[in-house]
Amino acid sequence: MKLPCSHWLTAFLFAAGSSAPAALTPEQVAQLPPPAAHAVNFSSEIKPIFEASCVKCHGRGRAKGEFQIDSRATLLKGGDSGPALVPGKSAASLLVELVAGFDPASVMPKKGTKLTREQIGVLRAWIDQGAPWDPNVTFARAEPANLKTRRPEFPKSQGKATNPVDRLLEPYFAANKIKPPQPVDDRAFARRVYLDVVGLLPPPDKLESFVADKSKDKRAKLVRRLLADQEGYALHWLSFWNDMLRNDYKGTGYIDGGRKQITQWLFTALETNKPYDQFVAELVNPTAESEGFTKGIVWRGVVNASQTPAMQAAQGVSQVFMGVNLKCASCHDSFVNDWTLADAYGLAGVYADGPLEMVLCDKPTGKIAAPKFIYAQLGELETSTNKTVRLQHLAQLITRREDGRLSRTLVNRLWQKFFGRGLVEPLDDMEHPAWNPDLIDWLAEDFADHGYDVKHLIEVMLTSRAYQLPATPATEQVGSDFVFRGPQVRRLSAEQFRDAVGALTGVWYGSPATPFLRADGSTNHFTATRSALVAADTLQLALGRPNREQVLTSRATAATTLQALELTNGAELAEVLAQGAEKVIGIPAPGPELVTQLYAKALGRKPTRAEVELATSLVGQPVQKTGVEDLLWGLTMMPEFQLIY
Amino acid sequence: MKTNAQWNRRDFLKTTSAATLSALAAGFPRAVIAADAVTEKIKATADTVIVLWMGGGMAHTETFDPKRYTPFEKGMAPDAFLSTFPSIPTAVDGIHFSEGLEKMAAVMDRGTLIRSYTAGDLGFILHSRHQFQWHTGYAPPQTVAAPHLGAFIARTLGPLNPAVPAFINIGQRFDNGEGEELKAFTTAGFLGSEYGPLNIPFPDQAEDTVRPPGGMTPGRFEDRNKFYKKLLAASPVGEHGSDYQKESLLRSLDNAHRLLSSPAAKAFDLSLEPLDSIRKYVPTYQPAQRFAAERDRFGAKYEEQMVGRFGLGCLLARRLAEVGARYIEVTTEYIPFFNWDTHENGHSRLVAMKKQIDAPIAQLVLDLESRGLLNRTLIVLASEFSRDAMIEGKPDKLIKDQVEVPAKVEDPKHYGMHRHFTDAGCVLLYGGGMKRGHLHGLTADERPCKTIKDRVIIEDLHASIYRAVGISPKLAYEIEKRPFYTTRNGEGIPVMDLFA
Repeated sequence: MKLPCSHWLTAFLFAAGSSAPAALTPEQVAQLPPPAAHAVNFSSEIKPIFEASCVKCHGRGRAKGEFQIDSRATLLKGGDSGPALVPGKSAASLLVELVAGFDPASVMPKKGTKLTREQIGVLRAWIDQGAPWDPNVTFARAEPANLKTRRPEFPKSQGKATNPVDRLLEPYFAANKIKPPQPVDDRAFARRVYLDVVGLLPPPDKLESFVADKSKDKRAKLVRRLLADQEGYALHWLSFWNDMLRNDYKGTGYIDGGRKQITQWLFTALETNKPYDQFVAELVNPTAESEGFTKGIVWRGVVNASQTPAMQAAQGVSQVFMGVNLKCASCHDSFVNDWTLADAYGLAGVYADGPLEMVLCDKPTGKIAAPKFIYAQLGELETSTNKTVRLQHLAQLITRREDGRLSRTLVNRLWQKFFGRGLVEPLDDMEHPAWNPDLIDWLAEDFADHGYDVKHLIEVMLTSRAYQLPATPATEQVGSDFVFRGPQVRRLSAEQFRDAVGALTGVWYGSPATPFLRADGSTNHFTATRSALVAADTLQLALGRPNREQVLTSRATAATTLQALELTNGAELAEVLAQGAEKVIGIPAPGPELVTQLYAKALGRKPTRAEVELATSLVGQPVQKTGVEDLLWGLTMMPEFQLIY
Repeated sequence: MKTNAQWNRRDFLKTTSAATLSALAAGFPRAVIAADAVTEKIKATADTVIVLWMGGGMAHTETFDPKRYTPFEKGMAPDAFLSTFPSIPTAVDGIHFSEGLEKMAAVMDRGTLIRSYTAGDLGFILHSRHQFQWHTGYAPPQTVAAPHLGAFIARTLGPLNPAVPAFINIGQRFDNGEGEELKAFTTAGFLGSEYGPLNIPFPDQAEDTVRPPGGMTPGRFEDRNKFYKKLLAASPVGEHGSDYQKESLLRSLDNAHRLLSSPAAKAFDLSLEPLDSIRKYVPTYQPAQRFAAERDRFGAKYEEQMVGRFGLGCLLARRLAEVGARYIEVTTEYIPFFNWDTHENGHSRLVAMKKQIDAPIAQLVLDLESRGLLNRTLIVLASEFSRDAMIEGKPDKLIKDQVEVPAKVEDPKHYGMHRHFTDAGCVLLYGGGMKRGHLHGLTADERPCKTIKDRVIIEDLHASIYRAVGISPKLAYEIEKRPFYTTRNGEGIPVMDLFA
């Protein structure tokens, strides 16, 4: 059977015939491969056959033809066609009949490699020998990783680490024979934390007083001071959450009322550091201000069943908060993970306004999805016909203290933001184990213990010695060979870049795209109109600010030619630099002094003598506007400016 | 001038290494191919694709599939006319066009005409939604950002000439009523912005996209770059050694600089084209004429002011094809209720639309032919769907009407095709391995003038375009571990009858 929605490579799809096949004739029995002559070992001989040929459709939660191969008991029970095998009688066992393939219409496996005669012989011998099963082996759906809460013990400290991240990393570094180098200097540290907490470059005066400060805990103090900057924090993290919740001032759907912003709700949540459990609860079970996320994007006309608003809500909620990808399962049982159509529809059913019929690859199945949450382990969702009640329960379930996935997912996203690579990768596949389970488990528990205070979580990470390690070259590190040695070199986001240029030139955007009500009651009262406050312009789009039509949990960071073209001759940046140059030449100071000021603002350091000479000759004597423009351009194109070391 | 095949291989490698470098970015989509895909390599019949986009819904019976003509008569029944123009013969016996397309009719012997293109069933009409489906092969919304046809081609084949962006999009602005919807598909989507479009809304100002920023002389531009190199050399950050982020940034800037200072950049400058040559595309062209991008944007004078803009777009497309562009799209520009989107005055407005397109398209075909490029350049003229005076949607799948049809046509403004018809449509193909003087598909001669033979759907049209450039319809890129195919589910089948 080929499903119409066959966008998979080597689909192992098949379904058992609904009527029991007739028993084999004596001639057919005679044609069967003879049973192997030896005593069969289940684990080394049978298990691999089941794994290769059966489990994709009859294990790991799948039950094609209502047949599951999870355990010996379910195997014996069989499916729609009756018991799969009779211990001791291989020739009378349905399993042998189907894999032998006398009837091409019902041969198993339906797709993929058929069993060899040797394999059938081994299978027969195993059945004849009573089909013994190792009770430790199961093909049932595995217990999902990173779901239950777990509080790891701190290892016995070998060194002088006090930050929990560092204490937990000590045995890791030891095991990997890594002697962590000295932390970065004050300037590099300050640049990192400014960009990571408030998304801005450190202002020169603040930077110098930080460097001059002799107190021992000045780094922790700086982190705390930045976290206390409500405006700066909110305007930086607004972009992170806008990507994730695909919220923007403009986009598809608005023309037909098929979309709603959550900008004000989100801004306030960030400005007031709303506890994360409450933040999530208000998105899952929304108010009028926060409903834009689960309302989805609706285009005019008919919509495919796998993209209805309820299904979009299921996909968004599971991806963003639980690190689970239900997109494949929205159309058919997934081939890339264990999620099934029933799982996706179960969650969509919570959001549907009425009973929701499951649709398999655009074909209605006639089955109504029972509303449920994707992880029964976290508790049963009360099935109410009242959507309001269902959403209340869903919000409670997903934010339960026992839900270790909610907290780990955010811990992982923040770790990836600060360190360049997640503790679990890919970010939206939280069923993968972390490269350091103790670390993610501890951070998640600590985060929950502290009332889901996101700023607390950030503080723990940024005050760690691990965060202060020298940057490591970012290479594509996939697979299990990844070894953590420190934060990776990162690139400024579109918003960070434009805001850095704003800080350098004093040229910001005009007015915010929509009125922002501040917690103090004022409207649009901001120190500067930063990138996150306006709709994306060509420059921001070119630098990777996404059009927020889908949930996006991490952006591509490689530089592209079209980006460089925009930076090199794009009108927007050129205009900002021209206005900035105008301001600079208004400052009554000689060339070398202006150069020194610009270096301090852009790169947070004094220029070297060679740099002063070079830049002074460019800006001219007296200082020329075009020279300053070109210097500003040159500075903003420096890797030192665009990258976070 | 170099022909397509002669681009310096070393340059090419230099540029593609940047693309490869960006391909190393975390989670970058990897190419995969369906297990049941034909493994034999498809022999490309084209190197370059030019899509001429008739955005807004081009009525087949008023253009390339004329039916019985009934002149306007006050008080006529609204279903009394199938075409509002008489038909004219073309260079091919048995193929007629609608009046006003004489120059295109004269080059029909170079083309293949599909009369049986059928748009998808997406319910209550939203033009941009059908355009999204036409350009990506998928109907929105989608769970991942679907790449544009041009981006798929750019990603798969790379630039033909490394100094010319692989995907160039001419003539569309994004600040109109459906601009956000247009943006949603005018993108490389999950393939990454390396493969996205270079947008040139005004062809007469194309050189702005590839020359130094406003007011900067070429000399200063070169000096700025030299200074930048010195600045880099002087920076102590060089001590950080080499990392992939830095390499990627520096290489992208080098690429941009090379592009801006390349001889190929001259192709963007229409002022270098002789006047008589421009006038073959735009007969009314005045020297140094500039379009007022800001003035009277989409107001009453819009169409009048934009006369010649599409023609110059075709001329620019020819110049870009000559220097080795890979995928070029030129649009008449989609703006709700303008150009082909005729909710009233269908007849008179089509007179103007035909004037816009007839000369430049015919000239584009002739110019590419005389330069020996037509064989390896596939021109595709298409629209998201057709129009009819009476039927909204398909005869057997009617959808909610958007245009009121009066009981009697008293006013000429009601004389025309004002409803959205999705059961037929014309696509014209020239060059790139397609047959010449060929007709594919048939529509009924009486209303409903729907497809009755050899229906072509978007998946199969895309499969044909992909096949022409040597790409399998089953090619997929992996996103979030699942394959995303060039044609939906990898199920597009090339229409082999179109190929020579």
